[in-house]
Parts: sequence; structure tokens; C-alpha cells
Amino acid sequence: MPPQEFNSPDLDEKSIENIVKFVSDIRTGKLQGSNKIAVATVSLLEQIITDSSSTSALSLVNAVRGTGRRITKALPQELIAANMVRRVLRAIRDEQRALANQSSEYSGDSLQRLVLAAPSRRATLPSNHDLREPIRDHIAELLGELEASTSSICGQAKEHIHAEEVILTYGASSLVEKFLKSSGTNKMKILLVEGPKHAESAAMAVRLSTQGVNVTLVNGAAVGALMPRVNKVVIGVRSTLAGGAVLGDGGLLAVTTAARHYSVPVIALSPLYKLSPLHSCDHTHFNALSPPYTALPYMSGESAVAQVFAPMCDFVPPDHVNLFITNLGGSSPSYIYRLLSELYDPNDYQI
Amino acid sequence: MDGDKENVVQAVVIMDTFNSNLNPICADKPTGLLALAGVPLIDYVLESLVAGGVGEVILFSCQEPSKVREYVKKRKGEKVPWTFTLDVQILSSETCQTMGDVMREIDAAGLIRGYFILLNVNTITNVNFAQLLEQHKQTCKKDKGAAMTLVYKEVAWDHPLISNNNPIFVAADGNTNKILLYQKYKIKCRDNTLSLPLESVLHHSEVKLHHNLLDANIALCSPSVPPLFSDNFDFQNRNDFIHGILINEDILASSLYYTLLKGNQYAAAVTNWKTYHIICLDVLHRWVHPLSIETGSFYQNSYIFMGKHNYIKTNSVLSRSCSLIEDVIIGSESHISDMSSLRKSIIGDKSLIGKNVTLQGSHIMNNVVVKDNCKIINSFIDDGCIIEDNCILEGVIIACGAKVNTDSKLKGNIIEKSLNDKNEKTLSKSTSESGTEWENESSGDGDEEFVGFEKQWSDSESCYSSDSSAESSLPNSPVPDDINIFLQEVIDSLARGYEEKLKCDYLILEINSSRYAYNIQLNEVNFFVVRALLSLPILVDSKNVLVTVKDILKFFHPVLSNYIKTKSSTMDCLRAVEDSCIKNEWLNDKAGQVIHLLYNADVIDEDSLLEWYEDLKEEESEIVNQTSLVKFFEWLNQASEESDESE
Repeated sequence: MPPQEFNSPDLDEKSIENIVKFVSDIRTGKLQGSNKIAVATVSLLEQIITDSSSTSALSLVNAVRGTGRRITKALPQELIAANMVRRVLRAIRDEQRALANQSSEYSGDSLQRLVLAAPSRRATLPSNHDLREPIRDHIAELLGELEASTSSICGQAKEHIHAEEVILTYGASSLVEKFLKSSGTNKMKILLVEGPKHAESAAMAVRLSTQGVNVTLVNGAAVGALMPRVNKVVIGVRSTLAGGAVLGDGGLLAVTTAARHYSVPVIALSPLYKLSPLHSCDHTHFNALSPPYTALPYMSGESAVAQVFAPMCDFVPPDHVNLFITNLGGSSPSYIYRLLSELYDPNDYQI
Repeated sequence: MDGDKENVVQAVVIMDTFNSNLNPICADKPTGLLALAGVPLIDYVLESLVAGGVGEVILFSCQEPSKVREYVKKRKGEKVPWTFTLDVQILSSETCQTMGDVMREIDAAGLIRGYFILLNVNTITNVNFAQLLEQHKQTCKKDKGAAMTLVYKEVAWDHPLISNNNPIFVAADGNTNKILLYQKYKIKCRDNTLSLPLESVLHHSEVKLHHNLLDANIALCSPSVPPLFSDNFDFQNRNDFIHGILINEDILASSLYYTLLKGNQYAAAVTNWKTYHIICLDVLHRWVHPLSIETGSFYQNSYIFMGKHNYIKTNSVLSRSCSLIEDVIIGSESHISDMSSLRKSIIGDKSLIGKNVTLQGSHIMNNVVVKDNCKIINSFIDDGCIIEDNCILEGVIIACGAKVNTDSKLKGNIIEKSLNDKNEKTLSKSTSESGTEWENESSGDGDEEFVGFEKQWSDSESCYSSDSSAESSLPNSPVPDDINIFLQEVIDSLARGYEEKLKCDYLILEINSSRYAYNIQLNEVNFFVVRALLSLPILVDSKNVLVTVKDILKFFHPVLSNYIKTKSSTMDCLRAVEDSCIKNEWLNDKAGQVIHLLYNADVIDEDSLLEWYEDLKEEESEIVNQTSLVKFFEWLNQASEESDESE
């Protein structure tokens, strides 16, 4: 990434204040859960667009992009926030394009005319036109999509989970939990592999079993032995990358590797807001460490002398995943790039 | 956050440690501005308070409050996260010398509305303060007198944060967590017994004993705490407060509780350079999550994580051939040259590290220049220092702006800016002799004051933050001190009595009153009276010692016969003679004669003498082979045989 040290002047005091609050909320853990972070990001951007003094497309794009830069710089691990910035940028660009098409009488007549007319059209664009109203509609749409994403994914559960199946899942994920609950049957058997957060995994197992589902909480070490009996592996992801690879909680790779060895299908639940136009060469995300107490308690005497590495994420290559389930339905890993180009403008891949 | 004023959680942060453990770096700047892993302590504290749900904070600054004010103002200008949700008030008083004074000032100012959190600026933590305070309020509902809940982190007993502090021993009621006994102990001390009163076990169904607690200077206080400090003006620090409350629990109608931090919560206090280094690494290893090295750096993360807990700023310059082994932070615009290797070290901003330099466990602040081929181990180098070529520094603390000359070899020194000129002279002189002179010179104050990284803590050394130095020296050796004072007083009284020919009855009275003043046992009195007699100042310059001793014994016969009556007292007397003959040079080789004089004066009897002689032989005392003594006992044996025969 090229160093971008200059501070964009597009943001006023109040917006910066909002960004700082947003960032510190995420850092201190007041804001948790991918969906909540996505909604909060979109609300923050909406606020910034509303507060923006200038209403031209260029200045709005600059303001949103500036916000995005600040957020990604402060929280390089929060890919979802960056994705939401890209979505909003896309909305602004779309709106600007629509406006341009509207104002230009000759637009869309022929390819040649389009190409030739482009520069002059931009110049004649009415710059005082308030883009904010239509953008707000877009944002409302986006918020609606975020809200509905869980239910639309869970709506597909019946197609994938059937009675008497043995389903293995890894770690605590509210999405996976809802997905399993909405499968319409209680007769499947669930093996819940403990993730890095043991307590949350256990709590999820309890919640599922009170629903009458047969849940067994197993240790990560037992995955290899259990895998031959498993019919399907259902996982939640932190982020889906451009090539169809997955960033998941630390330890996920061991599960998917075992699944691949025994040819067990792996289904990854990935709402659209988790799709990132990043490739696996970007190291900063894979090297991130979670706090060491997830691996070793401070109480132990070794904590003073040992270097504890508790990786935050695991990188799961695309060939370990058989099917992604997004809001729009199932898609194979090789199709992810197509979804990305539908969601984001290629100009915004790098914020 | 705004809400009702009543519900806002208040915290009081004391900005000073009131000791000199972090000198000379913290001698001329507030402790809060000392950078730990590149972030000033005050930022950690304020950040953790915000994260812990505190809405209003009172910073109480005694040392250079203007700098603190300036810093907070600067931070507000930069819009650091805590400035949005935290109401920061800065109080200052240059006259406050102890934490007790601060509490009295706060009580007088009347700023505390209710329950509050009390912590020190050297606390690094990620606890949820609001939750802890709520817990304290619950305790107060059960016990109206609950004054304070102390917050501790339980760690492994051999953890370096315990062995480098003055660890504490706490006994508490198992059901209510009420503290029954609070005592400091020393890890490497031979005398490692603690006495637990029997009633504290009998009166409670369950008693918990803790010896592995880490004190992070966090206390949850009831509104009654500042008035308690005001009422008891002798409370100097938190330990005084704790001891005072525990001893006078009924009178003050207050009690203390403690709570242990659960699971992932971290809390520790920077009390000396060793704990400074340990906590630095803990921050680097992310134990204090969400507090991290990014805490103070606005809300933007400009560090690049390089694996192995190495963090570098994006605009730092590293040579291709330099190696970062582990746990390294490099600040912005710093430059690391060829073939240098860094390990467990922190480099500040705009510093320059030369070629082929080895850094290990060292903290280098901003604008420091380290030239080629240096080796720096376990050292702290403050802003703007220059280390010339080929230096070897080990456990050195260098205050800002100092300069170390070429080829210096320093070990365990403290180099202060004010002594700069003088030090430099010494240094250049000593280079030819590989620095031994310099080491010797500094070892004088170094032994007491040095609180560096490398050197082991001596047992007598107190490094605990809230101790005032006067108090900390007391528990080390209180008993010998009293006895020495007593002995000196007895010697003084006897010498005066001898000079002025006072009546022996008065002298006895004087000795007895001294005895009660210092709580001396009777057998010790016997011992010391004889010891004092043989140590009178006139003996020292006397030409004929034996004659003087004879005079003294004659004069003080009533005193002696008052104390030396029984068999056991006779033995005490003889032991005193033995002790005197060993310690006082003017009685060298005269043990036999002194004994003879005492025997003639009818102070000691034959049986005791023989018994004592046997003891001497058993213990292989130094004086047993003295000719005078051997001769005396030969004579004694003969005399007794003769008397036997005559009967």
C-alpha cells in the first residue's frame, strides 16, 4: 500500500470526532459482531454525508474515502468497515452516473458518442445538484440489506441441512447458530468444535441444546478423528476474499483441512457485506495476533518468559470451501470475483 | 455518557509516586509523562479509565503540574479518543509530599460526590472500573463500614512482577473477602515467617491466605475515605491507611475488602525500572488488550507488525542487514544501520542507531544517537543523549541530554544531566583503565539508589511505590536498631555516672527506664550492662586498661550486683565479657585478666566459670585459646583442687 500520510481536508471537526468514537468503540469492544459493525459503519457514513457542506459527487466521494482511509488505518483488521465504505462509494458513483445520464440528452445513443462526449459531459454537469437525497435512499437500501442478510441466509438452511445428518461447525457464530436453528428439523446431530473463545462456544452449545438439538461440544484436537462420520461442515467466516478464500477464526484451517482430507463438503456462510476485494498476498491481515490470554492464562508462570502467539485469523484456501452461501444464494468460490464486481466499483478496491 | 451527574463514575488519579525509584528520569518531569513502549503513562491511564466506563477524572499533580496541564491540553487539541467522553479536571498542589496530603486536599476541595476509584498514574490496566465499583457498592450495602476495596491481580508466585516488588501477604475472610491481615514480606529474606493471629482463624469459618497478589495501586473507595485521611493526619500513604484501618477497625468503624481480577483482566503498576521493563513487554505482547502500543498514537495505527512482536513505524528506516530478533518497537523517523541487532528493546522517535550495535533489553527514547559498535544491555537512555563509538553499557540509566564518550565501559551507573560535566571528566580519565575508577566512584550512591534493570535487588532495598523511604527502612531491622540505641544509652549513662561519681542507685534507675523505653528483655539487660561497662569511652584511651577496668568494676559494684544475681544472669555476664573481648580491641588478649577481676569482685562464681569455659570450647570461640584465659583456668583448677585438698 502506498503511504498516504497527507490528511485529506474534506473532513470537518465533527466528522473526525465521530470517526474517533467509532474506532474507539470497536477497539474497546463496545461494538462487537460483524453485522453491528457493518450497520454502525453505514450509519457513520450517512452522518458524514448528511453533514457534508458540499454536495457535489466529488466532494462526497472524497469525504467517504477519507473516512474509509482513517478507519482502515486505525483498524486494519476490520475488513467489514472497509467493505461498507466501498458500498457507499459505489452508491455515490452510481448516483452520479445516473444524474449524468439524465442531464445529458445524447447519452447512450452510441458507443462513439459516449466516448467522445464524456469529457464535455462532466464539465456541464450541474454541480449544485443535491446528490444527498438519492444517496440516502441507497444507504437505506443498504441498511435494509444488512438487516435482512441473516434471515435470507437462514432461509436457505432447509436446502442444505437435513434430518439425521451429522453437522460439524467451528467456534461460536451467531449466524451459524441461527442457520442451524432454522433448518426446520431437530433431528440432526451437531458437533460443535471449540473455537478460541471457549466460553462462547459452550454458551452456543447450551442455547442449541435447549432448542432440542443434539449438540456435542468437542475439542479441536478431536476433529480429525470425528471427521469421517460428519456429513457436512458449516462454518462462519470473518471475511471472504476475492479469490474465494476465507479468513476465519484461528484454528479453522485445521478443520477444513480435515474436511478436505475426508472429502466432507464445507459450506461457508458469508453475507455479502463480508466480501472483500482483497487477495491473499496482503499480509497485515493474516499476521494479526489476538490477545495472548486466549492461548495461555497470565496466571501461569510461563506467561512472563514465553512469547505467546495466538493468531487472530486463519487463511483457508479456496479449494477447501465447496459452497458459499450469501444473501443471494449459493455460489462456488470461483464465482466470488463476479459478486465483487457487482458490489463494488473497481476504482474503490483500494480505498 | 452525559446522563445524570450522580451516576457518572468518578476516578482520582494521583500523578506522582512520591518516591525516587524512577529517578533521575522522573526527577524533573512528571511521572505521567514517562513513556512506556512509546506511550506516556498518562495516556494509558486515561484510556483505560474511558474503556472501564469512568466519566469524570480528577488528576492530582504535585510535581510540575503545568507540564501535565499542557500535555492534557495538547491531547485535547489532537482529539485523542478519551477527550470525547472523559471530563478531566487537574488539581495541583506543590506542597503535598505524600499521598495522604493529596487525599486531605481532595477532601478539603470537596470534589468527591460519592463512591470513587483511586489509582496511581503508574497503573497499567484494562479492568472494567465501573463494574468493580458496582461490586464495591454491593459490599457497602452489606457492611456499612466498608471503606475500601483493594483490587489485586493473582499471578504465579514466581512471576517477576512479584519478585521485583515488595510482595504482600493477605489473609481474608473466605466468605466476605474482608481483609484480616495485610503484611509485606520479602522474597529473599531469611526471616520469612509471618504470624497470623489465632482469633482471625477462630472467628471466621473460612480464611483465605494469598501470597501471590500483584498490587496495581487500584482501590475502590467509599465516600468515607477522604475524611478518614483528614481525621488521621498521620496516614502518609495507602499502606498507612490499610494498617491504620486494620489496627483500629473498631475505633474508625471502617473495614477493608479485596477483590481479585478475573480471567483476562490485567493490572500492574510501574514501580521501578525492572517492573517498567516487564510491563513494557507485557504491553508489547498484547496482554493488556485493548490497550496497546497504539493507545497514545491518536486513533491511527501507523505501526507495521513484523511478526515476533516487532513493531516498526511506517516511516522508520531499517538497514537490510540489521536484525530485529524479538520484541522490538521502532518509532517514527528512527534509523537502524547495518549489522545492528535488537532484542527486547524500544527505540523512540528520530533516534539513530549506528552500525554493528547490539541492543538488548534497552529503552532508548527520542532523538538519541548511538554510534557504531556499541553494546547496550538493560539500559534506559532518555531523550537527546549521545553515545559515542565502542561503548559498552550495562544496566545504565542516562538522563536526558547526557553524553557518553568513546570507548566507555559502564555498568550499573546512573548518569544525571546536572552532573554532566563532572562525569565526563571522570569518564575520559578512566577510559584507559577500562572504567574501574568510574565504577568505584559511583558505587557509593549506586548501591542504595540504583534501581536499574540488571542488578539484583538487595533485601534491604525497598522498591515499593507507595512506601515513603522513611517507612520502608523501618521494617528491615527494627530489633537490632532498638538494641543498639539501648546499648548506647546505657554506655552514656554509665560514663556520665563514672565521671560525675553519681550514686549507683540512680544509674540503675536510668538503665531500667531505658530498658522499658526500648522493650528489652531482662537477660538482654544483664548482657548489655556488662557489655557497656567494658565499652566505656575512658577504656579506649586508657594506658593501663586493666587498672581502669578494676576501678570501673569497683565503682559499679552495686550496679553489677543488682543485675548479676542468679546463675543465668552470671552466664549472661560471661557472654558479655566474651563478646566485649572479641569486639573491643582494647581488651585484646585480656579476657583472662578481666574474668579474674570479676571473679575477685565476687560477681561470678566458679561453677558458672567452668560451665562457660566448656561452652567456649564447644562453640570454638575466638578467645578460647587466648593465653590469659588458659592460664586463668589452670590457676582456677589448681585453686579449687587446693581448696578441696585443704577440706
